[in-house]
Amino acid sequence: MGKITVATQWLEACAGCHMSFLDIDERIMELLKQVELTSSPLTDLKHPPQEGVDVGILTGAVGNEDEWAEAREMRERARFLVAMGDCAVFGGICTMRNFFDRDDVLIRGYVENESTVDGQVPCHEDLAPLTRYVKSVGEVVPVDVYLPGCPPSADAIWYVLGELAAGRVPKPERELLKYGLDGA
Amino acid sequence: MSEVHLTINSQSVTASRGQTILAAARTAGIDIPTLCYHPALSSHGACRMCLVEVKGMRGLQTACTCPVAEGIQVETNTEAVIEGRRFALELLFSERNHYCMYCPVSGDCELQELAYRYGLDHWRYPRTYHKMAVDASNHHFVMDPNRCILCTRCVRACAEIAANHTLGLRERGSRSMIMADVSVPLGESSCVNCGACLQVCPTGALIDARGVYGGHEEDLTHTLTTCIQCSVGCALDVVTRGNRLLRVEGVWDSDPSGGLLCVDGCFKPLYDERQRITTPQIRRNGRLTPADWDEALDIAAKKLKNGSALGLAACATTNEALSTFARLFARNKAGRMEPAAPQLGYGRSAQLQDILAADLIVVAGAHPLSHQRVVGYFIKRAVDQGAHLALLDLTGSDLEDYATLLVNSEDAGLLIEKAAHVERAVVVYGVDLTPGAIKALKPLVDQSLFLALDAARNGKGAEAVGLEPLDVEEAEVLYFLLGEQRENGAMVGRLNGAFTIVQACYYSPLIEHADVVLPTPLWAERSGHFTNLEGKVSSLNAALPMPENVREEAEVLDTLIAML
Ligand code: SF4
Ligand code: SF4
Ligand code: SF4
Ligand code: SF4
Repeated sequence: MGKITVATQWLEACAGCHMSFLDIDERIMELLKQVELTSSPLTDLKHPPQEGVDVGILTGAVGNEDEWAEAREMRERARFLVAMGDCAVFGGICTMRNFFDRDDVLIRGYVENESTVDGQVPCHEDLAPLTRYVKSVGEVVPVDVYLPGCPPSADAIWYVLGELAAGRVPKPERELLKYGLDGA
Repeated sequence: MSEVHLTINSQSVTASRGQTILAAARTAGIDIPTLCYHPALSSHGACRMCLVEVKGMRGLQTACTCPVAEGIQVETNTEAVIEGRRFALELLFSERNHYCMYCPVSGDCELQELAYRYGLDHWRYPRTYHKMAVDASNHHFVMDPNRCILCTRCVRACAEIAANHTLGLRERGSRSMIMADVSVPLGESSCVNCGACLQVCPTGALIDARGVYGGHEEDLTHTLTTCIQCSVGCALDVVTRGNRLLRVEGVWDSDPSGGLLCVDGCFKPLYDERQRITTPQIRRNGRLTPADWDEALDIAAKKLKNGSALGLAACATTNEALSTFARLFARNKAGRMEPAAPQLGYGRSAQLQDILAADLIVVAGAHPLSHQRVVGYFIKRAVDQGAHLALLDLTGSDLEDYATLLVNSEDAGLLIEKAAHVERAVVVYGVDLTPGAIKALKPLVDQSLFLALDAARNGKGAEAVGLEPLDVEEAEVLYFLLGEQRENGAMVGRLNGAFTIVQACYYSPLIEHADVVLPTPLWAERSGHFTNLEGKVSSLNAALPMPENVREEAEVLDTLIAML
């Protein structure tokens, strides 16, 4: 059987999910025999290849217009889309701002912050505008596989990728299904 | 009770009529998941986790409320049942803020556990983002409505176990809220801090303010012991991690209180701010200075040997310590510091549970809601179930609001009349019982049981070894066995220059006047036995180690006996 192609991207997230991915340690050698990593935040290629990949992995929630575009792009180019981590699956900690007005959040963070002097809300054409609500990936595009956890354990990530490489659709259960830090 | 035959998942099950399907299944060892159900509470049937299919009945039934019937066929795991449970779970997760990553009970949460069990790997329904204020106004526990699933376990615990009726449900659709009284902050409410609601909450909505984030269940140690803060002697589950005391819980189905505690057992000892005595001390050149045990005991023994001595015990310790204390003073005078309830000279004694079964309760000379609080809660529970409460010669009692009869012993005829119409009366009396009341109660002797509320914690333990109430009197040596009993300075002016030995857990005005100070363990460090007001003996098991230089009272007293 040939290798499956995989692309990953992080959206609104802390990078913890990608760190947990690296925690599969030496098993990554085994994985690379079955998987070809195309684009990822850790490689030169940042966007999934135009011709598409077998598996797309999104970590993080969707909270600005760029992230919406990235989520859509990944969906279009991946046959299987995995939402990985509590932020991608549920919205996670990023949704904390949904309880407040978007502009109030920006002012609190950039102007009123206790450690800030003469702050101002950043504004530039290269900065993507925040959406009104932070959403989970599943609220934005259809998702095939959900892997919650903050972050998901290396074992759970290993399981999901292994199943996909073997041509099966993973469904994390029992010890591999954990929310928050409960898997740690 | 007649038998009923049914099948659950094709397995034949025999149940008793009136049982619920849930009870029948659990007896037969068949698992049906539950969430709003709690064995110590009435069934509510709101969470829809215990859904089952009953052949021939339309729709799905809630097993916790549906009674068994002859010949019914129950299925607990059909696709429809599982889909129903999953749907209910998804709604619960969508309605409020269940991001487990920043929830203190993650890993020990009944809601989360069910979600794992039913493989909820995402939520299909959009979340609402209602802002709900956390109520941290209560000193001992926090209510976070964002984690609340409105299972009403807390409401039922407050009403049915504590009989306090503080908590209620304010119905406003998706904005329904658990509220205290007429929606006031918990800290300003009628809550008596019994901890029952906290103990039954299945989620992170009610959180112990002290023990929170102390560790997951798998890291914790549970030690079953007995509360010695009053004479009721409730069973305690003391939760520790290493040498850190996290929280105290009641023990369901235990004697004497069935799991109910009061603030004095559940919270207060964990917030005691008195300074601990951790080493023996002796007075040198007018100043108390640390000493080693040999030195301190040597001085104490010499004084006890050579002078007239008087021993006074606050009954805040084990049966073992009290009996050794009595032996130490066998040739001198010794007694207990607290008054005892007067002897009636008639009547059979009651157990605590008798209060719950009574149809008339008479309270005289006692204030259980302040001093033996669980007895007070039991009385309120009985009143909730229709029992009459009569207060005899009792003014300004916090039980007045629940009483149907307030009488003086001069008009005791009213009480006798009332008692003539009941089957089970219980008389609860205490140290302030008047001679008039003793006479007035006598005619009730045939249909009543009598419960004496001891003012001392282990008063019964003291009684058993002959330590009777005794006042300070002139002696060359005064020996106080205080344990962790509060001492407010009342003894200080009465020492009359006696050589004073104090065995105590905490600093107090008396310590400042002592000549020899011997440190004792505190409640959670004690091993031994305790006799409660019913005369039942239960064991004390140490949940925490004693500080290095502290010794059990009985051991110290034994050493002194050997030295005399
Ligand atoms: S209450 Fe339970 S389900 Fe809700 S956030 Fe806390 S751990 Fe998760
Ligand atoms: S602590 Fe006791 S009295 Fe207070 S709200 Fe909870 S159950 Fe009611
Ligand atoms: S606070 Fe806890 S016990 Fe009370 S209704 Fe909410 S989840 Fe249930
Ligand atoms: S009633 Fe007495 S024994 Fe029971 S918890 Fe309260 S103080 Fe402890």
